[in-house]
This record gives sequence, C-alpha cells and structure tokens, in this order.
Amino acid sequence: MIAKVRHIVDKKRLMANLPTERYVDPKYVYIATNNARCDKSELYIKVGDHVNCFQVIGMRFAKYFVQPIHATVSGTFVGLEKHYHRNGKLIDFIKIENDFKDTFDSSVKKRSDEEIKKLTKEEMTEILKDCALVGLGGSSFPTYVKFQTNEKINVILINAIECEPYITSDQRIMREYPNRIINGILYALQAFQCNKAYICIKSKYKQLKEIYTEVLKPYPQIQLKCVGNFYPQGWEKAMIKSALHITLKDNELPMQKGIMNFNVSTIVGLYKAIKYNIPVVKRNITVTGDGIMYPKNFRVRVGTPVKELIQLCGGYKDPEKNKVIILGGPMMGASIPSDDCIITKTVTSVIILNDVENKEEQCIRCGSCVMSCPCHLQPVLIMNAVKAKDKERIKTLNPLKCIECGLCTYSCTSKIHVLDFVRKAKIFAKL
Amino acid sequence: MIFVKKTSPYISIKADVKTMMLDVLIALLPTLIFAFVVYQLNALYIFLISISTMILSEFVFVGVTHIMPYDGNKHSFKEKFKFAYKTYNINNVLGPLVSGVIYTLIMPAGAPLYAVFVGALFGIVIGKLVFGGLGHNIFNPAAAGMLFAKLCFSSQYNNNIESFYFTIPGLSSGGSGGDIAVGGTALGNLTNGYEHIYDYSLLDMFLGKMPGTLGEAFTITILIGAIYLIVRRSADFRIMLTYIVSFALMMLFAGICISSLNNKIGIFDFLGFELLAGGLFFGAVFMLTDPVTSPINLPGRMLYALIAAIITVYIRLFGSYPEGVGFSILIANMMVPVIEYPKWSNPKFTIKNVSLMVGLFVVFTSIMVLVIMFGDKIAL
Repeated sequence: MIAKVRHIVDKKRLMANLPTERYVDPKYVYIATNNARCDKSELYIKVGDHVNCFQVIGMRFAKYFVQPIHATVSGTFVGLEKHYHRNGKLIDFIKIENDFKDTFDSSVKKRSDEEIKKLTKEEMTEILKDCALVGLGGSSFPTYVKFQTNEKINVILINAIECEPYITSDQRIMREYPNRIINGILYALQAFQCNKAYICIKSKYKQLKEIYTEVLKPYPQIQLKCVGNFYPQGWEKAMIKSALHITLKDNELPMQKGIMNFNVSTIVGLYKAIKYNIPVVKRNITVTGDGIMYPKNFRVRVGTPVKELIQLCGGYKDPEKNKVIILGGPMMGASIPSDDCIITKTVTSVIILNDVENKEEQCIRCGSCVMSCPCHLQPVLIMNAVKAKDKERIKTLNPLKCIECGLCTYSCTSKIHVLDFVRKAKIFAKL
Repeated sequence: MIFVKKTSPYISIKADVKTMMLDVLIALLPTLIFAFVVYQLNALYIFLISISTMILSEFVFVGVTHIMPYDGNKHSFKEKFKFAYKTYNINNVLGPLVSGVIYTLIMPAGAPLYAVFVGALFGIVIGKLVFGGLGHNIFNPAAAGMLFAKLCFSSQYNNNIESFYFTIPGLSSGGSGGDIAVGGTALGNLTNGYEHIYDYSLLDMFLGKMPGTLGEAFTITILIGAIYLIVRRSADFRIMLTYIVSFALMMLFAGICISSLNNKIGIFDFLGFELLAGGLFFGAVFMLTDPVTSPINLPGRMLYALIAAIITVYIRLFGSYPEGVGFSILIANMMVPVIEYPKWSNPKFTIKNVSLMVGLFVVFTSIMVLVIMFGDKIAL
C-alpha cells in the first residue's frame, strides 16, 4: 500500500462504554524503588514497620531532582521483591501488606477554597514537588519542573486525545470526574495567571462533547476543542498545531510560545495534590486486547500487580497461543517479558495481544514510511544507512528528530521493523 | 503459552508485498484480455514465452544464489535443492509474472518469438537479477527487455499483423497494411511529416484501432486498471498525474509552435495524437509507478516523473526513434539515486523543491520551443 497512513485501527468503541470497575484494595501493593528517570533510591523504613497511606517512605534520586516515594495503602512493610517495571527492567519493589484500614498520614489536609485562592505559583510548585506529581500520560516528567518556568503562559492545553488505539482510561476519567478536571484546570489557570484553557478531545467523541458543553457552561475561560481523529494527534506538536494553529520548530518548547500542556490524568492529580495535599495513589487503567477474556476498565491502587487484574478479567483467551503483554499503547508502549509486572503511576493500560509472527520481506521502496512520518524523516533511508553503518549519512538524515510513534513500522508493506533501525540510528547519531 | 518480548509498535496494516503485486496483475488483466482478443495467437505466444522465461530465470537465480555452504559432509541433491529453495516463496513467482505481463504488453505483435525470448531474458537477468532480485533493481525489467529486443531485432519485426480490427472489414479504418508506410506504428509515420497525425482518428486511437504494441493502444482498459490501482493504493497517482500533465503541457506548447509554422495542423489534434498514440498511458500507469525503481519521497517522485516527461517529449520531437516512453523510463530510473540523495532531497514540499521542478519545466520547454521555431530539421 502506497499511502500516507494517519488513521489506524481504533478498537475503542466497546471499551469506552464499559463502566469503570473499582479494584482499589489489593492484598499487597508494590511500589517501585526507582524508575526510568530516577536510578537511585533510599528507604526511610525498616521491614515490619507500619506505614500510613500517603506516607513518605523513601526518596528517589535523579540527576537534577529528587522524588519522594509515597505509600499508597496503609499496612506493614514486608520487604523488597523483584518484579518487572514498566520500562522493562527487573527492579526492586517495596512490598506493603494492606491492612484495609486506609489510615491517613498526618500530611493530608483539606484546603478550603479561600486558602487555595491565596496560593501563588511558587507555593503550588512546592506542593507538587512534595506530592511527586509526574506526567501521567506516560512521560513521567515531573510536573513541578513545568511550573518553574519563567515564560509568560497565555493558554493551557489539556490533552485528552488519547490517540493510541485500545486505550480508554482518559475517556473514562473525562466522563466520571468532570468536577475534578475543571477544578484542576482552574488551579492551573490561577497558578499561571492566564485566563484561557482548552480541553482537546478527538472530534469523533460525540458523547464527551455533549457532556462537556453542558458542564463547561459556567466556566467561560475553559473551552472544548475538537481536534483531528488521526494518529499521532496526541503528540504535543500535532495537538498545538491542530488546536491553536501554531507550528513549533524543532527543539522549541511549547512554553516558549506561551503554551502549557497537561495530560488530563495529570490535571486530576494536580487537583488532588492542591486540594487535599495527597499524591497519586489511584488511577484509571484499561485492560484489553484480543488475548484477554473480558476486557475491562479499572480504577486501581498504584502498585497493584497486573496478574490480579488479568484474573479479574477472566484470564487469558486462547491460552495455547503466545501472548504479548504491553504496558501503554500498542504503538508506543513497552512490552514486558512476563505478566509479573506492576501498575505504576504512569501505566495507562495493559494490553494483551496474541502474538502474530510477521514474515519480513524485502523492502520494495513503496515509500509509505516516508509519507507517514509525522516528523518528516525518511525512515527507509535511515534503515539503509544503519545497515551500511554509514555514520555520516545517518547524521545527515537527522534521526534524533524521531518521536518513535511507530507509524513507519505500522505502515510498512514489507513488514520490516523500521523503527528498530531508527532506534539504532539514534544511538549512532549520538556518538 | 509464552510471553514474547517485542519492541513497539505491535500492530501493523494488513497489506503486504504479495497483495500489491496481485493488485498490479488484476489491473493489467483487462488490457491483457483485450490484447488476446485483438491479436489472438500472436499475443498468446508472446505472453507464454515471456512469462515462462522470466519465472524460470528467477527460479534458477534463487537456486544459484543459495548454494549450500561447505561443511565437510556430503549432501544429496535433494538436500541441496531443499536448502536452496527454502526462501523461495510466492513473491518469487509474482514478481517475474508482473514483469512478464508488462513486457508482453509492450512488445509489438509482429516481434519474432526469438526476439521476445532474448528480450525477456535480458530484461529479467540484466534488468533485475544481477542487482539482487526483488527490491534491488535499478531499472524497470520490462522496459529494459523491450528496448534490448527493439535495438537488436527491430529490422526483423513484421509490420503486417493479422488483428481483430483488421480482419473484420467494417471495423477497419486504417487499412490492413495496404497504403500505410513501412514505419508501421502511428508515431513512426510522423517521421514523414506531421500531416500524418490525421492517419488515424482520435476515437480510433482511443479504442486501440491502430498498429502498435500488444497492450499500449487500449487506453480505456489502461485507465480502468489505473483507477483500480489508485483505489487500492497500490500505485502512486502523483507519478501518473505529473507525468501525463507535464507531458501534455509541453506538447501543448509544441503544438502551438508547430501549428504556427504549418497551418494544416490543429493544436489539439496534435496534442490528442501525441497523448493517445504510443505507450504514454501504459508507461505512466504501469511502468513509471513501479515502486522499486522510483524515488521514495513525494517531491522526488514528482521530479522523477517530470524528468521522464521531458525526456519523452524530446525523444518524440527530436529523436530518431519515434517512441520515447521506454527510454525515458530507463533514464529516469538512473536518476533516482541522485534525486533521493539525502543531502538535498527533502520529504517535505519546500520552496526549493517546487522551484526546482518549475525551473526544469520552464527551461526545457523554452529550449524545445526555440528548437522547433529556429531549428530546421523538424519535419513539417
């Protein structure tokens, strides 16, 4: 097929209408000691200690920032156990036995509206830093760093596009907690002292549009923007282009143009952090795919093992077929070599697919990858340069612009894994 | 049940190389049937010889290139054969089949069968296999084979062919080889002067009622195939469109110049004649769009089609060969590595890209106009 591929399989229709099932009290929760951005950590508790919900039990250290680790349930610290993290590595997890009492830590306090009105941006930054709020769309970039910007912000964009197929957790959040989203946006508007915010959704989500035109009536400063239905519309540059008609140059941050963007889950986390001073302990996830018996939407405690969720979904369908477990979307998510993995803050979905062996054929230079690439790269030429180990040519082709959206591999007629070659090229280009 | 570790993305489109080649075959089918109806046994012989030559050559090639490496043991012929043909799959049949059908349709009906065989062998071996088979070839195998046969054996071609149109008296418009000059094809007659564009009416040419190669005269069936290819997205319509539009524009300017020199010739008669006589549509739809031999980015593809159009116009107007489509495709194929050289090619349409295309078109059109107006070798 020689075509620009923008519309990919969707598979959301069924899932978007399934109500969310609450599974917030697992017997044990597991909390990661380190993650993709933080590689060292320190624990403040000993085995056998009793911990409260939201208590700070340790600290993660990254290059430029530190991140507190919060307990997500109350109970007893049992010990460290090795499990798979979202980034595919086997790391230590803090195992806490749930006592099902949910006793809160002393740091939890409800702020009244008047108190919140008085908060400045700096104070909010401190709160977010203490609550360890990160980008929950999958980037896990600390939100307080975004708050530290000195640029003048004119408009706030809320990313609720969720352009990856299969995933519906953001849609369920949008439907179930409009109040939290709106208040979160109001706090963000207050912090940046701007008076315009847009919630970006796909234009085909008719029901969401109806709900939000009704809900947003008392708030003229927040508006709904319906953007395109294509992939990768959720990429911040594509979203800004569709919503505001501003084209960002390479290496230009949205803040430099006066734009601040948040994922919709992050906004809910922001609301919780400012209003109750608590970190993210629960999140919406989707468990779906053609390898699972009954797909479901869940609201789960952070730290729930994936195995329990799979059992709740009725186990695997066709157990004789090989499976691929993906945390995140099927285009950009990470595949885990075992189902022994844990839901962390940034996991949006668990997708279980039956493994399909694609036979790789010779490239016939159809050019679909070149046409489809949203960054205007030439993946097939990068692939040939990597095969020839031609460093000069790799640098000319500029693979560092790649956002790894996966459209080159998705659209490949010859079923070549082009993106793997582009990843190699990125390593070459950095040398 | 095993959990497989893969890298993202985990899903992909359904279309693959096999479906693309099948699409091309289906698109070629109406033209092929038409060729069988009109040229009957001649077409059948050419078809059988060319596809069997090409498929067999590919079969031998796979065996020769996958020789079992020496490992100290003796292996029976059966084992060696199995090892060599482990990788042999449907693409090794469909690829040569597509080339073979295209080659059949661009051979003249009067070509002797040994010429067909030699051309097919040259096309598949030199045009495709020596570069490494599917996906590696620089030249279009069908065009290479056709031109080789034409250059070597054209004096042996028989110009008085029995065809469906000519055997039924009522349908005959040109006469069955009676008063037509030896040149044979409609374009060939032009070397005797541009008045010969009135030898065949435009409608007859549109319906394929003129001597020519097996398939390229039937514009209707070619257009049906083109629509199928575009709907199935198995060929790039930008190449077809750029090639035909830029060719038509240049021929329009040429027509204006020629009719100003010779008032017996109408501008649009000339334009229609140049569009319909010869293999312009066939080349544009089935040969120029071959993805393997065309550039991979969009501006590059349009530039490639433009270059091919310019060369076609120049060969037709000023060359000693009447037909330029085959040559232009081969020469444009040669330009592909230059066109897509990463230092200057850009997958986006930029001012540089577009101005290069417009500049090429303007420069070559003005040279063409100057040569027609002031060169004295144009037959009028």
